[in-house]
Amino acid sequence: MRKVYIVVTLVAFVAIVGNHLTSPSSGRAVSPEDFAGACAPCGAPCPSKNN
Amino acid sequence: MSTATISAPSAAAPRADYLFLAISILATAVLVALVLLDGQRASAALIIGGFGLGVAFLKAEFSYTASWRRFLTRGEAGGLIGGLIVIAIAAVAVVPVAALWQGYGGAIAPLGPSLIIGALVFGVGMQLGNGCGSGTLYTVGGGSGRMLITLAFFVIGSVFGSLSLPAFLAMGGLDPILASDYLGPWGGLIATLASLAVAAAIMITVARKRGANYKPSRNYIIGGIVIGLLCVFVFFAGGHPWSVTFGYTVWGAKIFQALGYDFSQAAFWQWAGPKHALAESVLSDTSSLTDFGIIFGAMAAAAATKRYANAPWPPLGSLLAAAVGGLLMGWGARLGFGCNIGAFVGGVASGSLHGWVWFAMALVGSLIGIRLRPLFGLSRE
Repeated sequence: MRKVYIVVTLVAFVAIVGNHLTSPSSGRAVSPEDFAGACAPCGAPCPSKNN
Repeated sequence: MSTATISAPSAAAPRADYLFLAISILATAVLVALVLLDGQRASAALIIGGFGLGVAFLKAEFSYTASWRRFLTRGEAGGLIGGLIVIAIAAVAVVPVAALWQGYGGAIAPLGPSLIIGALVFGVGMQLGNGCGSGTLYTVGGGSGRMLITLAFFVIGSVFGSLSLPAFLAMGGLDPILASDYLGPWGGLIATLASLAVAAAIMITVARKRGANYKPSRNYIIGGIVIGLLCVFVFFAGGHPWSVTFGYTVWGAKIFQALGYDFSQAAFWQWAGPKHALAESVLSDTSSLTDFGIIFGAMAAAAATKRYANAPWPPLGSLLAAAVGGLLMGWGARLGFGCNIGAFVGGVASGSLHGWVWFAMALVGSLIGIRLRPLFGLSRE
């Protein structure tokens, strides 16, 4: 299991760093709740907006 | 005194696993350096806060899943009350600050079929997966191969959940109900703390009736206080209560996208927040930052005391339960607006009614999940 963990950790770490270096990063870290109209932690709209 | 007597304690003394200790600390340092290079001190604080949470959860062996199971099978309420300590401490900061200070907000969510079905399914999944959102993270970090399977399927399930959520939201529901909207910041805080006291009283009553223990263990009291304080730290660093599972959804969507899946027609991924998260660096998402910190914090805490990830793989049935549980939790977390942390701890600590609805439904789901455990060769206890 140790070998699996070493491989998984390295692959995940390379993926995280690779994604960060190849993607835009336009400012402070945000949550979907920070955006206008968000009604839930995932950014879903309020039911009243759906009607 | 014989040599054997002298050497016995040192042979039994815990030895650090320096390889994994170094990996965990170096990985955390690199992530902190990357966000600091972008000038993001708050992001660095979230990674460090997550690291602290990983250490605290692992050292206290703080498990929502096991606590709920002990309550449902034996009536023991100590673990559940330990969880309420976390929420009470977080609420003291979250309810008034979210209501009074611009730039801060609580964890809110609509009430409706999506929340009810999602929480119920999540409850089933957490008993099969053997961990909730936070539990999966810290046990993966702690070196459990089984929980690697749970996490992988949790991530996949949450992507499916993101595709299902808009249809469930279309069934209707009520806008979020927040105590501070009706009672003001301090009245909302009093109402939130009162709701926690009522919940604790009900749990103690049930435990007493079943002749079970209702006092939290020392680990759960200290762990609950430390985790509660770290929740406050994460709230001030990120501007919202700590959440876990949105990060999983983003990781999964990024992997699916890399494999060629097009999310441009998926309604969920056209909402402003998810669209931004999918396009931007994974280190721009608050929940991912704390998630990474928790994994590496738990890894460091586990590797500091013993040989890391040294247990054999569990039986196939247990791995199957991990996969099914992970899928259900992932799907349920998206429909139910989070897990024990984002929906229950964050929701109740924000004074949002959805937190209590989530708890009630997830508890029912857990009861179902416990009954299903023997099908996979797992004990009901």
